[in-house]
This record gives sequence, C-alpha cells and structure tokens, in this order.
Amino acid sequence: MSGTDFDVVVVGAGPAGSAAAIEVARAGRSVCLLERGPSPGSKNMYGGVVYGRILDTLVPAWWEQAPVERWVTRRSTMLISGDQALTVDFRNPGWGEAPHNGATAYRPEFDSWLAGVAVDAGAELVCSTTATGLIREAGQVVGVRTDRPNGDLRASVVVACDGVNSFLAKEAGMYPHDDPSNFTVGVKETIALPRHVIDERFAVRGDEGVDIEILGCTGDVPGGGFVYTNRSTVAVGLVLSLPALAAGGTRPEEILRLLKAHPAIAPLIEGGEVVEYSAHVIPEAGYDMMPELVGDGILVAGDAAAMCLAAGIWLEGVNFAIGSGALAGRTAALAARRGDASAAGLAGYRSSLESSFVLSDHRRLRDAPHLVMSDLAQRVLPAVACGVVEDVFTVTNPTPKPGMRRIVRQRLRRHGVRLRDLFREGLRALRTFG
Amino acid sequence: MTASSYPEISFERRMSTVEFRVDSDRAHITVDDTVCRDCTTRGCITACPANLFVPTAAGGILFNYEQCFECGTCYLVCNEEGAITWTYPEGGHGVVFHRS
Amino acid sequence: MLIAACVKLVEIRPLVDPLTGSVDPGREVGCSAADRAAVEVVRRLAESWSARTLLISVGPPRAEPLLVELAAVGIDAAVRIDAPRGVDSSTVGRLLAATLADVGADVVVCGDYSSDRGSGSVPAFIAHHLGAAQALGLVEVHTEGPGSLRVVRRLDGGRREVAVVDAPAVMSVEGSVAELRRAPLRSVLADAVPVEVVATDVPLSVRTLPTRAFSPPTRVASAPTGTPLDRVVELTGALVERTPPRTVALDPPEAAGMILEQLRSWGYLDEPDPA
Repeated sequence: MSGTDFDVVVVGAGPAGSAAAIEVARAGRSVCLLERGPSPGSKNMYGGVVYGRILDTLVPAWWEQAPVERWVTRRSTMLISGDQALTVDFRNPGWGEAPHNGATAYRPEFDSWLAGVAVDAGAELVCSTTATGLIREAGQVVGVRTDRPNGDLRASVVVACDGVNSFLAKEAGMYPHDDPSNFTVGVKETIALPRHVIDERFAVRGDEGVDIEILGCTGDVPGGGFVYTNRSTVAVGLVLSLPALAAGGTRPEEILRLLKAHPAIAPLIEGGEVVEYSAHVIPEAGYDMMPELVGDGILVAGDAAAMCLAAGIWLEGVNFAIGSGALAGRTAALAARRGDASAAGLAGYRSSLESSFVLSDHRRLRDAPHLVMSDLAQRVLPAVACGVVEDVFTVTNPTPKPGMRRIVRQRLRRHGVRLRDLFREGLRALRTFG
Repeated sequence: MTASSYPEISFERRMSTVEFRVDSDRAHITVDDTVCRDCTTRGCITACPANLFVPTAAGGILFNYEQCFECGTCYLVCNEEGAITWTYPEGGHGVVFHRS
Repeated sequence: MLIAACVKLVEIRPLVDPLTGSVDPGREVGCSAADRAAVEVVRRLAESWSARTLLISVGPPRAEPLLVELAAVGIDAAVRIDAPRGVDSSTVGRLLAATLADVGADVVVCGDYSSDRGSGSVPAFIAHHLGAAQALGLVEVHTEGPGSLRVVRRLDGGRREVAVVDAPAVMSVEGSVAELRRAPLRSVLADAVPVEVVATDVPLSVRTLPTRAFSPPTRVASAPTGTPLDRVVELTGALVERTPPRTVALDPPEAAGMILEQLRSWGYLDEPDPA
C-alpha cells in the first residue's frame, strides 16, 4: 500500500497498545504508538493487580525490570455484612519468588515501562496526542486523525487500544453497546503509610503484598470493593454499577467513606494520608458487550474491546489487555506484510483470540458478571455467611449447641432465601465457574 | 459501624490530590441543559466521581470540566439523548494520575 | 537576525514531606510555564521578522528530550551546553552568554523564573555579559518592526511600565504572556531538530558531607588546686566584692535619665547627649 506513514498505528499506549506495538516492531514492521496523556499510563487506573504470566513470552524475565510495588503473596476474599466481616485468606510465599503470579504496581509507572519496551523494540511513541477520528477510504480504515497540526497519520492497519470509551471503535461502527448496565465505575483512594506500618498491619515482609477483594460493602449499589498494598501506600477502592449509582442518590465517595470506616478496614488504613483519588469506567459485562473485534483496516483490543474480567473472585484486566494487544499486533504485522488489511485479511485476530485464554476465559465466564451483581451475591450471601459463622462460634451455654444444619436453615429463612432458589443459583454458579 | 478516629477528608481536599493539566481553551464536556430541564433521573449528578454536575435553581445543570477524570460515567448514565457531548481533552491536557 | 529562547530542565512535580520539609524532586521533568511562553514568544517574533530561531539550555544530557520536544514547534536549531545540574546562576549566565555571543543572537528571551526556586537572575547575567539591553519580568511583548520591541513590565502596586527595547536585547517573560503552540505531528515524528552539544569545563558541583560524627580533639586539663570550698567560692563568685543591685521607682523620663547616667558611668556612652 502506498502513501502510508507507518505499517501500523496503535492508538493508546496502555498495556494493550504497548503489547501490540512490541509485536509489530519485532515483526520488523514500522509502528506508531499514540498516547493522549503526557506519558503512558497517566490516564489509567485499575483495581490493583497485574498478572504477569502473559508477559513471559513478550518480555522474558520481566520481573527483573518491571516497576513492581509488591508481589501478591496473600490473597483474601472478604464478605461484609453490617459491621461483620468473613474473610477467606490464602497465603502463598511461593508467589513471592520468580516467576511470580500477581504484582501490584502504579499504572503510570508500569505502562510507561511497557511502552518503553515497545520503543526499544523500534516503535515510535508519540505522547500528548489525542486520536480524534478515523481516516476512511471506501469503507476501509486507512489511518487516524490526531489533534496536532497536520495531524493525519496514515497506516495499513489501525489497532484501537483507546480504552473503555473507545471512540475509534464507535466511529467504525463496531461498538454499539452504550448501555450503562454494561459498565461499572471504579473509584480508588491511594493512602500513604510508612512501609513498616503496612508490613505490620497486613502481616507481610519485604516485597510481599496483599490483595483483598470485598463483597457486600457497597450498600444499595451493586458492586464490590478492593484493598491492596503498594510499597508505601495502601489502595482502597470500589467498583460500582452505573445505573444503580445514577439512580441511588448515594455518591461514590460516600460509599467509599463507609467502606473505609468499616471495622474490618479502618484499622488497616488509620492515620494514612490520601495522596491520590482516581476514577475510571470498567467494561463490566465482558463477553456479552464485546464489540466487533475486526473491521476493514482496524482491530480492537484491551478495554476498548471490553476485555476486562470482573468475575467476583477474579478481577483481571491488564493481562487480557496484553494478551489481546499482542495478538492484534501479530495479526496487524502479518496483514501489513501481506498487503491485505481488509476484514478478511485481519480475521486471524479473532481466531487467535478464540484459541487463547482471552476469549475462552471470557466466553466461559460470560455469566459471571450477572451472578456477581445479583442480589443473592451482593446482599444475601454476605449476610447469610456472616450470620452462620456468628451462630457457629457464639457459645450459647447453658443452651446446648444447635446443629450446623439448623443454623444454616434458620439463617436462610431469616433472609427469605428458599433452598430451591439457592440450589438453582448454586448450579448456575457451578456451571459458570466450574 | 465505629467511626474512624481520623476525620474524612473534604471533597475539595480529595480532589486536590489529583493533578489536572487544564486546557483553558476548550471544554471537553458540554451540556445542553435545555434537554436537562425535562430530565427526571439526572444520574450524572450522583454518579460523576468528580462531582462535576450541579443542579441549578432554574432546573438546568451547571457543569465544570476542569477536574474531570475522563472516565465517561456521565455520558453513559445520561439517558437524555444528546444532552452531554463528551470528547477527550486535547493531547497532554486533562487528568494525570501518578499513583493509580 | 537570530532570536534565542533559553529554557531550563526542572522537576515539575516535587513532593515536600509535610513533617520533615524534605523535598523529593520526583522523576518527571519538564520546564516552567514561563520557559514555554518564552519559546512561543521567540516563535512569534521569528514569524513576524522572518528571523532564525535557536533553543538553548544549560544542563545534563537528560535535558535533550525536552529540547527536542520544544524545538518541534518550529525552532531552527537547538543547543545544549553541557553542565551538571545545580550550577549557580552567574555561571549559567556566563555559559549562555558565551554561546549566544558565538552564534550572534540578536534577541534573547527567557522565562522569568524557573520553577525550582529560581531567582530570575540568569537573564540579567546574560544581558550583562552580552552588553545588551534588558527587560525583565514582562507581561506583554509586541513587535515594532524587525529588531524593535514594545514591552510591558509588571511593577509593584499593580502599575505597568511600557518600554521600547531595541536589539541586542535580553528579555524575560511571565508564563501568561503566551501559550506554547502544539507541535505539528510531522515534526514530532521526525525529531527534526538535532541537539548540538557545547562542551564546558564546569566541574560537577558536589556537596560533601562528613560521614562520621564530629568529635573534638582531646585536651589535657590540669588537676584542680585548693580545697573544695575554695573552688566552690571561686566558681560561684560568692565572696567577690561587687556593687549591690538597687531598685528605684521613677517616672519614665527620670528613669530614662538614670539609665543613661548609669550607662555613661560604666563607659558604654562616650559623650553626654548634646540634647
């Protein structure tokens, strides 16, 4: 194709975009990586953990160079009901050793690092430049417009990694879902505490870190919470369903205040100073809201393609972004070499996603977001679980101990749950997660 | 719930922890508040994490774009077609996270 | 005609520990709004005078990306004078002036202050070394034809001074004077302007600190003489003859007179007050 500035233009230097640019550059094609922030990652925020296995092939021994805050060696799931909390706490010191499992990191640092890997591979990174639209010729995407003077950039393939609001995918007509029920908004406070205080409060040493996922902490708004540790800050955040938040009349920071004041959370962060507040929308619905992934001359990856797994016990996004971005980059490079950037020429992207963890995880867990956001998971499960544990461990002498079965039955009855419904939902959960 | 012994920070203090490189030439959000007058839900007012939307006595919506997280919540919850026009700010401007 | 902009690489997001007051400079670097305004002023003057433009900075190699980024707005050449961070203002002024004289800059525009506790003195040093006119702390810059400028300077009390300055001249501008235009995408992609490096022999200014606690050298002290009572009397001065203190109650004018008289008697005041 003649008259192109680059073989591939990647829009957005987040994990997806940088992974795409790395693959294109390593395939020997020219690639421009556009970023609207002053540096990669400056617009990005997340719920705390980068799962690095996907990086193994992209950046061998990445753990020796990535700007990691702490390695997650303690993973907790907490159910909150009233001022009670039930925590399942798993520790695995093995995750603290290479090749590691999950890491906490500041996104501006992590994303800048990954974009730096792309630049080292030969990608041209241009920051402070917003892609304002697509250049199309006869239905084929042949480049992007940017907000710089003389800002048109022509390329054989455009890879849209422009985040959850993906205006490029929308402009290409690939992203019809603007239904707010597909989205949640994440809000987060980063709270500074001395490193040794964090080590003591979270019972970890050295580079070890903690990630806590919380259910039942969001009041009337379906959602969840999280707490995780950086080296010398603790992040406390919420994920909140958009329609309920808009209808409920309770503002996000008020729900966050209640979580921070909860007896299970307050001692962890007491005396800390809020050093940053942040917010970002999350494509919660996953597989069911995914746009068309391939168009004529355009591929969509990362949050732009709703590749964020918000499935209760799993909260992953960066790994899916890197996975999808890398595959998009590989497909785009191949298409540029062959000179066929039509949707048919790019179709390999979809099929490679299908055979990778990216789409298979999403397809298998497509029901999970609905389950997690259901009233049963949001309200009943935390209340019943906390209640049962309370009854089990409350010593009622001189009354003899009630049997377990009776405790569970009583608690279920108190919350108006019928065994039939419980079985049905349990079966559904088993089908989804099993 | 027991109250923390440390008082909650004010909303202004909370927002002051965030760096915004404001583009003084162009507002990246615009609100056609003639449409908002007929809106009964007004989800943007409670949902916007930066609290940028404020109802006016006249029944409209007053908005500010300077302290925007660029998250997109407002236009997603807005059910009045075309009331909120939302684009990204000019490159290099807008919110800059450091510890997110 | 050649117009030069001087900029300084600074950390743009330093963090101050509220408890200890210690400053963490942070890693993000850039330049002050005033420096950016200076680059824009140079660009505008160059357009209206059809002049060549130069961007110049004194700093370490890591200042070069900043120069490349700023030069992309349409500056013809960029020069980095190699010197470590923390060189004092007079040296910076001398180094800049030497290079500016070499290249024959007619008009030099600086930002009024760098944002890392700058004193705004570098432009004055440059003007001194170049023997050029200086107009510092400007809020408006207008051209009156090639090489001639009408400028407005901020004075105390909200007043303004209007001055006409002819080249050769050194100016410093406030950040509000102009907003730096955006660089065209092509210039950004091309890294069009290579940065020329001028070597200097400025030594690395390293502040040395002692690494051990200070311990004074030992001295020999002679053993005390006399009885313990003698020593106590000597230390307290108990039996030494002295003028006993006296208390007087007087009106202020008389009290003042008495104080003066007493001071005179002790020899603190040489002559009697002529009044």
